[in-house]
Amino acid sequence: MMDLDKIIASLRDGKHIPEETVFRLCLNSQELLMNEGNVTQVDTPVTICGDIHGQLHDLLTLFEKSGGVEKTRYIFLGDFVDRGFYSLESFLLLLCYKLRYPDRITLIRGNHETRQITKVYGFYDEVVRKYGNSNVWRYCCEVFDYLSLGAIINNSIFCVHGGLSPDMTTVDEIRTIDRKQEVPHEGAMCDLLWSDPEDVDTWSLSPRGAGFLFGKREVDQFLEKNNVELIARAHQLVMEGYKEMFDGGLVTVWSAPNYCYRCGNVAAVLKIDDDLNREYTIFEAVQAQNEVGNAIIPTKKSQMDYFL
Amino acid sequence: MSLPGTPTTSPTPMDEDTEQAVSVNTEPKRVKVYILENNEWKDTGTGFCIGEVDEGKFAYLVVSDEDSPTETLLKSKLEGNIEYQRQEETLIVWKDLGGKDIALSFEESMGCDTLCEFIVHVQRNIESNISLVTVKSSDNGLGSVHDIITGPVTLPSNDQQQNSQTLLEALKILNENTSFDFLKNETIEFILQSNYIDTLISHFHKAEEEKIPKDLFLLSNIIKTLILYNKRDILESMVEDDRIMGIVGILEYDTEYPTSKANHRKYLGSKGPNFKEVIPLENEDLKIIMKKCFRLQFLKDVVLVRFLDDHNFNLISEIVMDLETCIIDFLQVGTFLDRLIELYDTKTLPESSSEKEKFVQKRKDGIRLLQQCVQMSINLDAVDRSKFYKTLVRKGLFKVLDYAFHMETDSNVRILATDTIITIIEHDILLIHNVQNEDSFKRQHKSAPDDKSSHRKYPQDYSSSTDSKLLLILSTILLSDRSPGLREQVVQALNTLLHPEGCVGNGEGSYDLMGRSNYEAKNTSEDFPSFSYGLNSDSINLNNYHYSSDEMNNLEPESESEFQVMEYFANFYNKIAPILFGPLIKKDITTEMAEIDGQIEKVTKDDLLLIHLVKLVSFVCTEHDRVLSRRFILENGILDSVSKLIGGNHMMQLRLTAVRCIKNLMCLDDKYYHRYMISKNLYAPVFKLFQENIDKNNLANSCIQDFFRIIITECRAYQSDGHNRKEKTNGSYDGNGNDVKTNVNNNRTNFTILNKYLVQTYGDVLRKATDIPFIQDMLETGEENQPDHSSFENSIEGGNDISVNMSTDGFASNHLEDIDIKNVKRLHSEIEHFENDPHYSGDQLAFKKSVDQMNAST
Repeated sequence: MMDLDKIIASLRDGKHIPEETVFRLCLNSQELLMNEGNVTQVDTPVTICGDIHGQLHDLLTLFEKSGGVEKTRYIFLGDFVDRGFYSLESFLLLLCYKLRYPDRITLIRGNHETRQITKVYGFYDEVVRKYGNSNVWRYCCEVFDYLSLGAIINNSIFCVHGGLSPDMTTVDEIRTIDRKQEVPHEGAMCDLLWSDPEDVDTWSLSPRGAGFLFGKREVDQFLEKNNVELIARAHQLVMEGYKEMFDGGLVTVWSAPNYCYRCGNVAAVLKIDDDLNREYTIFEAVQAQNEVGNAIIPTKKSQMDYFL
Repeated sequence: MSLPGTPTTSPTPMDEDTEQAVSVNTEPKRVKVYILENNEWKDTGTGFCIGEVDEGKFAYLVVSDEDSPTETLLKSKLEGNIEYQRQEETLIVWKDLGGKDIALSFEESMGCDTLCEFIVHVQRNIESNISLVTVKSSDNGLGSVHDIITGPVTLPSNDQQQNSQTLLEALKILNENTSFDFLKNETIEFILQSNYIDTLISHFHKAEEEKIPKDLFLLSNIIKTLILYNKRDILESMVEDDRIMGIVGILEYDTEYPTSKANHRKYLGSKGPNFKEVIPLENEDLKIIMKKCFRLQFLKDVVLVRFLDDHNFNLISEIVMDLETCIIDFLQVGTFLDRLIELYDTKTLPESSSEKEKFVQKRKDGIRLLQQCVQMSINLDAVDRSKFYKTLVRKGLFKVLDYAFHMETDSNVRILATDTIITIIEHDILLIHNVQNEDSFKRQHKSAPDDKSSHRKYPQDYSSSTDSKLLLILSTILLSDRSPGLREQVVQALNTLLHPEGCVGNGEGSYDLMGRSNYEAKNTSEDFPSFSYGLNSDSINLNNYHYSSDEMNNLEPESESEFQVMEYFANFYNKIAPILFGPLIKKDITTEMAEIDGQIEKVTKDDLLLIHLVKLVSFVCTEHDRVLSRRFILENGILDSVSKLIGGNHMMQLRLTAVRCIKNLMCLDDKYYHRYMISKNLYAPVFKLFQENIDKNNLANSCIQDFFRIIITECRAYQSDGHNRKEKTNGSYDGNGNDVKTNVNNNRTNFTILNKYLVQTYGDVLRKATDIPFIQDMLETGEENQPDHSSFENSIEGGNDISVNMSTDGFASNHLEDIDIKNVKRLHSEIEHFENDPHYSGDQLAFKKSVDQMNAST
């Protein structure tokens, strides 16, 4: 068996992980993830986290500010990769935590956890840069296919990356999706990962080109039909870190501070206690540090040997 | 010369065009002259206006009265810092140094143009402090838009003695000058013509030595501002040999991280310019271009990664692409590629062991180099790419690949070789094949120049050609190499090579060969649904293809390339597929495959390999010509093996992949597959797996729920179809998430039959899960509906024995072997009956016969 603690320490320091190790991590994660439902059950107390986008050092800050995985249960709402410069380390770190503390951490698929999107928005390039070939990217994409599409906390809070779908309006229906596939361009699975809440009267076309816009009416219906009180989702940058909408029936949580290293936003996580009280923790980007505590500047690794 | 520390205001360099266009005096133009008096514009007369220069030193705007030409209406000197405003098309307005407001209203805008050119000329050559601006009402009609046409430009001090003050001033000026195109262009001109960047670099070294952080951060911001000017020439000048280290050095300092410093110089110093030269480059220009290219990429990807906006990013990418095109061009002219590929001539192996080791290493590096060149070519124009790949193939790329796949043992190197192949075939599947054909075509033409049909003669030659060799190599690698990364790549290559859409749609190469092509040369990779990554922004671009087997069946091979494609697939099923799918072929059939027989025992235990193979089964069944693929699949009992994997002692990933394969085949709604899977009880393991997971909230449960949902959705659609045709099925997906096209006439009945069969056979399992609403539906639907059932058999089968068996006794397993044999026989006869089909053309018959012939020879 792998020495997970050792790998975790390497990842936290942003060190190179051998391809072979990544492969085994990914394979072991698959086994764990496939035992979870499309909408997986989670107990309180739990801390809900939004988009990470490869900002490894901010992810470390997140754990630090919210108790750490040794003591706290977490749900991550997807978009672990792309944009930032440490997509691989961020995703693998979460996988390692998942393997090391299976009950403490739940990972949900975001719209960036797909082959198509990661090819364009950075994760693919990052892997090619770090390994000279794309194998590790392929392994990770295989894991993406196994990630849950949502979670439900104490049967009361529905968690999803994007939002609702007009095709499937109950949690039971969502359970009938065979999720092990590249995210389709339309249909319920796509909508859950792509939709956004908006001040609209009914389902509307999304400017993103995938998913829908949904309003208070759709949210209220979903809450009533499924007997839940809150939809927690991520997917949209919120300068203040979180934003409640529709009389508190929906919240957007965003956990990548200073998004893309330039947006200047703060980040938030949402803690749900046993009485379903909500408590937000706000945090800012801090200067990244290397393993000996020296400040470092987040950057991309240059390409491998140049042969010509 | 101005004092250090103050901005210089200098006349801009002479513009020769302007110089010649405006001679000393301009042509007279008709104008009305207005003077502002007591806040009212007063018309002082109409006349002809010229621009006049006296003694080359003094310039005037002169208007002479049109009625008495000797009388001057206006003579106004261009001097001091007068600002001339051109308002709309025909008006020039200014306040002279005496404070008088003057306006010239031209009869024609052309006249106004002439005098404006004159003002520009005077500003550039005589009175550098005057300026000309245009004022136009903005598009929305509210307010106005100003633009500077000419005028004095404030530029940063280029004094060798810089300090915080001059740098701060420079930063301010450089930022301000971006607000008007004129100022921006003049500034760019200054930066390119002067040694300003060198001045900055030299001060940088001083500031670093003397540890003046303020200057260092200012310098960094100045360089960044210059980059934001987004000018190709500036960027290129920054990466020249004597500047690059200074520039990245300056950019190591970043006000966002005031307490740290990046180490770009260290990186570049140790790695960047020292390229590994596997094959020495002879061309010095090429080396310069390569360095430039590398440095720009380094700037884009590392140094400026958090800083660049989209415009900058695109500009740098564009320059890099130009340089790459240039590099790829250069590589093809000299002997570089020949010398590279010579490395893989087996006879050139050195004798001494240390030399040999070095040489082996060199060969590895050569493959890396090739892969890098091919990677570099990805961004090039499609024509350039084709040209480069053809050159590679002609020069003997296959020697290299042969070496990689047969001699090389390092998986990492083999991965790069596969990557090279994937890049080429994804660009154009037929390219390799066509280059080969072209060669043999030439050879044949040499020997028999009059034989016009010679290319007709070598489908045989073709079938054993590079494509097949490639398929065979890839299949063997997949079965024998355990490196998971290599396998993934090989599967991708196989998917590309075996994609009929790519083969049929890409007659580009045959155009070279035969001078005609029925198909537009498509831009390849974007056309493949499974590899289409053509996304922009966060939006998804729907690019689904559904390959319909009916189209292929009715396709008459009119062109040579189509004929070849059909040959190609026939050859695949005869020669390659039995090896590729060997581990899924029943033992008694595989005994013929002596060459890989030894491996079968091993690979059947290899679940990760089986996952790939089962996915490939889904792929060929869905995408290939139905008759061809189905025959292979059924005759070799592949589905039996797939079904066994569901129940077997395998990893769950594989078991579910097998369920999906069965699900995909069911979705094809092919009556032969339907019948086969029912008669052979292939659904049994699915129900066993369902029972294992019936109370679990996990992927297996969802996967099978999806399976049932498809069946009941199809049944419901059939039921409502009788009343209402418009109802559309939903929820049936193939492996790529595409809607499965269904044949309205018999598909619903196929599913009704299936549902009935499943309910009868596995009702006890289903009844345990009636909390799932659609399983309740399945049960209800399956227990009614008798009439439909029988009429289906009569209409489709005409009383065929198999289906009667199926429906009457519920498939007692002791009948299975019996049914199996009949079923296989039936499939043979199914092909034959097409001979009576009027749609079945002579060409297709020829094709079928060649298939049979090859089949016999296997």
